[in-house]
Amino acid sequence: MSRLTARELTLAYEDRTVVHELELAVPDGQVTVIVGPNACGKSTTLRALGRLLKPRGGAVLLDGQELAKIPTKRIAQSIGLLPQSPVAPEAITVADLVSRGRQPHQHWWQQWSREDERAVTDAMERTDVQSLAERPVDELSGGQRQRVWIAMALAQETDLLLLDEPTTYLDIAHQVEVLDLVRQLAHPTPIGSRGRTVVAVLHDLNQAARYADHLVAMKSGRIVAEGHPKDIVTADLVREVFGLDSVVVPDPVTGSPLVVPGAPYSPSRLADVPAPATTSERLRHP
Amino acid sequence: MSADTVPVRLPAGYSLLRAGRGSFLVHRRAAVVAAVLGVVLAAVCVAYLCVGESFVAPAEVLKVLAGQDSPDELVVGTLRLPRLVTGLLVGAAFGVAGALIQTVARNALASPDIIGISQGASAVTVGAMTFGVTSYTVLPYLSVAGGIVAAALVYVFAWRGGLHATRFVLIGIGFAIALRSVTSLFMTKGDYLVAQQAQIWMTGSLNGRGWEEAAPLGWTLLVLVPAMLWAARAQRTVSMDDDTATALGVRLGRVRLGLVLLGVVLASVATGAAGPVDFVALLAPQIARRTTRTAQIPLLGSALMGAVVVVLADLLARKLLAPTELPVGVLTAAVGAPYLIWLIVRSRTAGGKA
Ligand SMILES: Nc1ncnc2c1ncn2[C@@H]1O[C@H](COP(=O)(O)OP(=O)(O)OP(=O)(O)O)[C@@H](O)[C@H]1O
Ligand SMILES: [Mg+2]
Repeated sequence: MSRLTARELTLAYEDRTVVHELELAVPDGQVTVIVGPNACGKSTTLRALGRLLKPRGGAVLLDGQELAKIPTKRIAQSIGLLPQSPVAPEAITVADLVSRGRQPHQHWWQQWSREDERAVTDAMERTDVQSLAERPVDELSGGQRQRVWIAMALAQETDLLLLDEPTTYLDIAHQVEVLDLVRQLAHPTPIGSRGRTVVAVLHDLNQAARYADHLVAMKSGRIVAEGHPKDIVTADLVREVFGLDSVVVPDPVTGSPLVVPGAPYSPSRLADVPAPATTSERLRHP
Repeated sequence: MSADTVPVRLPAGYSLLRAGRGSFLVHRRAAVVAAVLGVVLAAVCVAYLCVGESFVAPAEVLKVLAGQDSPDELVVGTLRLPRLVTGLLVGAAFGVAGALIQTVARNALASPDIIGISQGASAVTVGAMTFGVTSYTVLPYLSVAGGIVAAALVYVFAWRGGLHATRFVLIGIGFAIALRSVTSLFMTKGDYLVAQQAQIWMTGSLNGRGWEEAAPLGWTLLVLVPAMLWAARAQRTVSMDDDTATALGVRLGRVRLGLVLLGVVLASVATGAAGPVDFVALLAPQIARRTTRTAQIPLLGSALMGAVVVVLADLLARKLLAPTELPVGVLTAAVGAPYLIWLIVRSRTAGGKA
């Protein structure tokens, strides 16, 4: 089942069409990961799924209804979105910023409730930022800040969560933590509680293959392949999408496909022909 | 422990105010600052009423304010009070207008006197003066119309599928320059006396202002109180980037338009009453914000700060070169700017951001 779908979605900035007649059904209660080369339209697609960009053609549907026809506050109660580069107001504290994720659930006469408190505390615990609560956001490191933004999106407590590169700036441990958190949201441990639907843009193919239930590979504004990572990640796909030669082996820990790119550049590969360095090589090795 | 006895944890720095089913977040430092500013303003107002050509003891001033009989009734109640009230309201209106425009423009340098609103008001007013309209019952309305038309033009030209903050400011500055030259044109065309009168109006002056100016301004502000309450809350939401705000369910286009509209009306009405008093709209919100350390510009703080700056400046304007009275606009910058500079120099961050 899919609450969120895109039908013949065409997206453009001014006169440049970036995404062409995209068909996508986001599977409920699963982690969908979008991968693809830079500028292929991942962020653009995600923004359209979160009604931040009006489609030039086609539509995004939430529960069968066109997003453009749903009041934006009601959408905000169902869809949360973390943009690629959000900007915080100057001098805002961490706790203040995270609490703004509650905005769609509040009214002007009801600015704070026990529910808000629980959601904010929970979001801050899950992202490991409680100890930063009173610090100004503009004094944090890139990774700390990224976790604060994720906490804000979590505090919104929406059934659907769209994350644009949530792991940028994070060290490897925090990357794994955030991705685990994402999976945990989709597959909650307590029996009976429903899982949330997550769509994330990731750059690391191996992380995508590890954490995605549903992988979408995009190139030049079109979907090249989609499905379970095990079924679609092959050396051919990596070459087609990224133009990169690689070997795909099973991940020793999870068994998911592991993409190992070709050997890095090294002078010894050229050393078979011992010739004086050309100008371009001298430039590369000043 | 039952859920009801557990104290609610709030974002750092806030307190919760409950009233029936309602619950309101109050920024503690902003509340304290507002209270202190209120006291300072009261003191400045009393001082304003005491000082002048003749000195009136504070006790007598308070008597007049309380409506009791006093020999100083004429000087305090009839001569000084109306002018004080006009200054107070003008300052508050400029303070709030500046705060709103700076919020929408996301720029500390944007204010009604930078982005063309004051210049629009000036151009129309001075134009009217050179064509022989000198009645102070008509001019304020022309000034309001000029400000609103100028702002509408800036808004329309800055619109491109959405309001881009930097574009808004730059186009505003462009319009301000163009309108200023229109004003100069009118001044050189008009005769000498008109030009002089226009010059004084353009510096911003409270000289000779009384209840006729204060009353419409006061009523307008009173009518706009609900709008300002809405704005104080709405401001919270537009201080983030566009995508994040929209994702949180904010109807950005409408909210921004509402905030700008309110700011423009306030600035135009204040300009109509006292002329474009320089720098108040620019300084008051920044001083208030740096004092409260809130994430957005505090509206109440800006209003109070604007009022303090204008009243204090007018007090000095009346007294400094007595018996010559300076236009208040000459001194507002002198009163506010050093304090703002001190705040910026003292702060740890680089400052300069909105
Ligand atoms: N605001 C904008 N105005 C005009 N063009 C834009 C805008 N945002 C993106 N584009 C263009 O749209 C195309 C797709 O951009 P998009 O941000 O969707 O790429 P992406 O797949 O997210 O890339 P990355 O991996 O670098 O984040 C790019 O060519 C980009 O230049
Ligand atoms: Mg992107």
